[in-house]
Amino acid sequence: MAAAETSSIAGLLLVSVLILPVVGILAQLALGGRFLNWICLAVFPASFGVSAATCAVVWSHGEPLIYIVGGWQPPLGIALRADGISAAMMLVTAIIICAVAIFARVEFTQPSGAPEARAPFVFWALILALWSALNALFLGCDLFNLYVALELLTFAAVPLVCLKGGEATVKAALRYLLFALLGSMLYLMGTALLYGAYGTLDITLLAQRVHPERVTWIAAALMTVGLLTKTALFPLHLWLPPAHAGAPAAGSAVLSALVVKGSFFLIVRLWFDAMPGLGHTAGPQLLASLGAAAILFGSVMALRQQRLKLLVAYSTVAQIGYLFLMFPLAMAAEQSWTSLAWTGGWLQLFSHAFAKAAMFLAAGLIADALGHDRINDLGGAGRLRPLTFCTFGLAGLSLIGVPPSGGFVAKWLLLSASVAEGQWIWAAVIVVGGLLAGGYIFKVLGRAFTAGSDAPVIVTPVSLSREVVAFSLAVGAVLLGFFPLEPAEILQIGRPEILGSTVP
Amino acid sequence: MAIMNAITIFGLCAAALVGLGIFGLIVNPQPLRKILAINILGSGVFLMFGVIARRGAAAGLGGDPVPQAMVITGIVVAFSATALAVALLLRLVLVSGAATLEAEAEPSEKDGR
Amino acid sequence: MTLGEVLLVATLAVPLVTLVLALSSGSHRRTTILLVLAAIPALLTALFAESGTTVVLPQALLSLVLSLDLPGRLLLGAAALLWIATGAYAVLSRRGRENDNPFPIWWLATMTGSFGVFIVADLVGFYLFFTLVSLSAYWLVVDDGAPPAKRAGAVYVSFALLSEAFLLLAFVLLAVATRNDSFLIRDAVAAISTSPLRDPAMAFLVLGFGIKIGLVPFHVWMPLTYASASIPVAAVLSGATVKAGVIGLIRFLPFGVPLPGWGETLTALGFVSAFYGVLIGITQTNPRTILAYSSVSQMGLIAAVLGMGLATGNSITPAAAAFYAMFHILAKGGLFLAIGVAQKTRHRTEWTVLLPAAVVVLGFGGFPMTGGAIAKYAIKSPLGDGDVAMLAMVSAAASTLLMLHFLRCLRASRSHETRTTSAAEQSFIWLAIVVAVVALPWALYPAVIQASAHDALSFDALWKATWPVLIGVLLFGVLGRAPRILPMIPPGDIIVLQSWAWSGAKALGDATERIDEYLRRWSIAGSLLLVVTLALIGSFYVGR
Repeated sequence: MAAAETSSIAGLLLVSVLILPVVGILAQLALGGRFLNWICLAVFPASFGVSAATCAVVWSHGEPLIYIVGGWQPPLGIALRADGISAAMMLVTAIIICAVAIFARVEFTQPSGAPEARAPFVFWALILALWSALNALFLGCDLFNLYVALELLTFAAVPLVCLKGGEATVKAALRYLLFALLGSMLYLMGTALLYGAYGTLDITLLAQRVHPERVTWIAAALMTVGLLTKTALFPLHLWLPPAHAGAPAAGSAVLSALVVKGSFFLIVRLWFDAMPGLGHTAGPQLLASLGAAAILFGSVMALRQQRLKLLVAYSTVAQIGYLFLMFPLAMAAEQSWTSLAWTGGWLQLFSHAFAKAAMFLAAGLIADALGHDRINDLGGAGRLRPLTFCTFGLAGLSLIGVPPSGGFVAKWLLLSASVAEGQWIWAAVIVVGGLLAGGYIFKVLGRAFTAGSDAPVIVTPVSLSREVVAFSLAVGAVLLGFFPLEPAEILQIGRPEILGSTVP
Repeated sequence: MAIMNAITIFGLCAAALVGLGIFGLIVNPQPLRKILAINILGSGVFLMFGVIARRGAAAGLGGDPVPQAMVITGIVVAFSATALAVALLLRLVLVSGAATLEAEAEPSEKDGR
Repeated sequence: MTLGEVLLVATLAVPLVTLVLALSSGSHRRTTILLVLAAIPALLTALFAESGTTVVLPQALLSLVLSLDLPGRLLLGAAALLWIATGAYAVLSRRGRENDNPFPIWWLATMTGSFGVFIVADLVGFYLFFTLVSLSAYWLVVDDGAPPAKRAGAVYVSFALLSEAFLLLAFVLLAVATRNDSFLIRDAVAAISTSPLRDPAMAFLVLGFGIKIGLVPFHVWMPLTYASASIPVAAVLSGATVKAGVIGLIRFLPFGVPLPGWGETLTALGFVSAFYGVLIGITQTNPRTILAYSSVSQMGLIAAVLGMGLATGNSITPAAAAFYAMFHILAKGGLFLAIGVAQKTRHRTEWTVLLPAAVVVLGFGGFPMTGGAIAKYAIKSPLGDGDVAMLAMVSAAASTLLMLHFLRCLRASRSHETRTTSAAEQSFIWLAIVVAVVALPWALYPAVIQASAHDALSFDALWKATWPVLIGVLLFGVLGRAPRILPMIPPGDIIVLQSWAWSGAKALGDATERIDEYLRRWSIAGSLLLVVTLALIGSFYVGR
């Protein structure tokens, strides 16, 4: 950050959004499980309120919100900075985490009177840690601090995978952890190289100092690939399907909707903010090619799955691919359409977050209610649990890109940018991906709403409130579809003029 | 000139450690060895920071303090990572009786919920 | 707000509100009658709202622009009539199954979409309603849950999604052609005819709408779907929802400026369908399948008319094509109801079905004084006087042949049991549609084409309308003598290729699964990580 930038009072919001969840964890540790419900009741609404307030302040002021921790100026001190994309991410994160918390309330409650159970304790601590880590990722300005935030995120996410403690899930968690650690080390190596070459890791200062030279390229590649392992972009997706399918529903929802987006967010910071020069190379095309491969490959794999949760997990592999189409489209040399692609990419992220969270929660409810999640044996289950399957269907429509839904707006914007910029190949991939998504969504819905050979039975009743929470997330994905088909103002706040100025 | 040589040697050592670590992580099937390999890889990266601190030292100072601070933070993070990985590994041995990551089964129905 | 604007909004609002009612009410016994009532505002709009009425909805409703024009009005009115009639038919035939809850919901959703495409004037809105009508209909098709319906539903939804994909690309191109300035269809179409994106946009439009109207080779879903859906569903699918493709072509093709190349292409595609539908249709014996192939043929004819209009820049084309489509909505929908009525009618009273059916059937060939005659007369101007007009005459003869074949199979399909259940109420619905099929085209012709209907009664016109029918009858007589010369072709003809495509897709899927298993091995993924790193470094050296 330039030295002239100073904290404002509103900047305290940024500190509290990091601290509040941590305070919650500390209170849990200090007070014990008996007060768990009360702690959650206090911390979740408070953190949500602060996140929403931050977003509102950034939006209304139209400029980034900055807090210099302890008054120490960067590059030595630590600054927190919320620009448009961080504010939007914080808001989406807050909404989804709180919805998931309401969903998980019944499953992970501390039984009164009974001896303290471990799973609820761990679950809530992990969710809060995850929230704080995500906010740190969105607000960080220094590549090393961002590394720490990234690790916090991983450490909170991995145990969430194996909360049930079965062999397969522990194995999935371990694979996730080891692969993510390899990624972290690559990232760290990149920061070391950058610091060695330019003497700073502050994003703004780096953007002024980097030269197109060998050390920059190597550092950028190491950091990007390190982050790709955590984002599970094809072909580095080995850990994702078992991990996301094995976690409890609430965990899967957060992992798929938010955690993989955390490292993606950092890639965007790196490419667009720290090293915008990467846009003049073939790098964005390579990233988008991997993204395109992810879309096609992940969708076909989703179509082939026999288990609902694995289907949803592979659909995440595919949907992550769309995010990377943003790079060549928003970094294109001809700039009149880049802001459209920029908005489209972020909307894809937000709508996928809502849709996928809803979908995992719905899949969890189905598995709970029926005692299994074999797609072939769903025949007629839609008539037993209409609301849950409606949730699945609505979220699915957003993934396919059917209007009105966030997925539709995102696809429309990305498609517009790609045909206007003449990058037809990405348009073709987007459309084929939508078709394949239609295939796997209708495969499930078709089974669920037409009678099968033997009708399924409800083995465990599912509370209506949990169904409603999942449904509201799906409605959120639909509501994003009311976004106008133009570059969004909030996402441009704090952007360099390159992206902000030109609206076609 | 002597310093330059030392830096080069340490730099090469760092590169060797990183190479060993990555090789071990990819090739070794046993999870424990993978965890060790990550630590070797980490040591290589930390050594790299040390080299950079030394090389980038301002006149009069023995070394640039910023990378050193980063190394300390990095070590803490790597330590926690190792602890978490070992804990998971122990858990895996406990529930499955064997410590292997290959031949992974799809999560069973019970876990799937 | 004027009355017209209120009606225009009510056309969509009333079915939607009814949909919400049907979703929320526990018992559906009371909501079934609403299936019929919900379509009434659409009819009133077509009758009383002026052409040119426009409503811009607020941002919270996606800034949809609703607008009524002549083609939209014709199709909306006829579709509303058909939805009302089939709604009543469905309520009667589903007595005792009122609590089968998904049916009314999907019925209303499909209906909303079907009305929406006729009156919406912006790109996003059109895509929204087109999607609604296409995808909701899937649930109507699979409603009875039998395996053939499930198979038909899967084929149907695959083609529906494919057509949406093409249209999405086309609409994005149209929006880009206006530099995102306007999402109005009118502006986008004006911009596209001079844009460098014209050719891809036209190709995607023809593909997208071509699938919807079943142009060969995208027609395979039609015979399967119409043969396995229930009678009222088949009636609205063949009559009303298919016209979403027709209105799409009418709205999105740049008429008024001659656009050679694309016009001829569409005409050729249309005539191929027109004759292909008849050729396969006469080999079928299931009356529903025959009607489906007749739809392939008739939609082909409409596409040919639109293609000729596009090539010559004839500005009457949209109205004429919509006029013909209006006839087809009522005639085809009505004949499906006739199949249902015939199955319940006893031997003694069979003439109550067959005689009116004969009137409608002859209309398909343009026999004088039928509704079809004036409809065919209306599309003469776009088709011109040359070889194309001759082809249209031949297709009328072919249609006569196919529809007489239908009549014979319909007679064969009627019930032989002496059941006590009377189909009297259903028969009235069917007869009412017959009256509309004959009377409406004659009544509306002067207003639509702005010419007197007397011209159609001149001796020359009568003769030109009669001889194709006579040839058709003659051919029918010849074929009737030697029915064995026809080969056996399964419904959906080239759908048999599906099994090849299926095994190909399966092989591809198997391969993908194997690759995934391989890629997800630890050592492979680790090596790939290094490969990706090196590739990324390499890519940074490659300037753009």
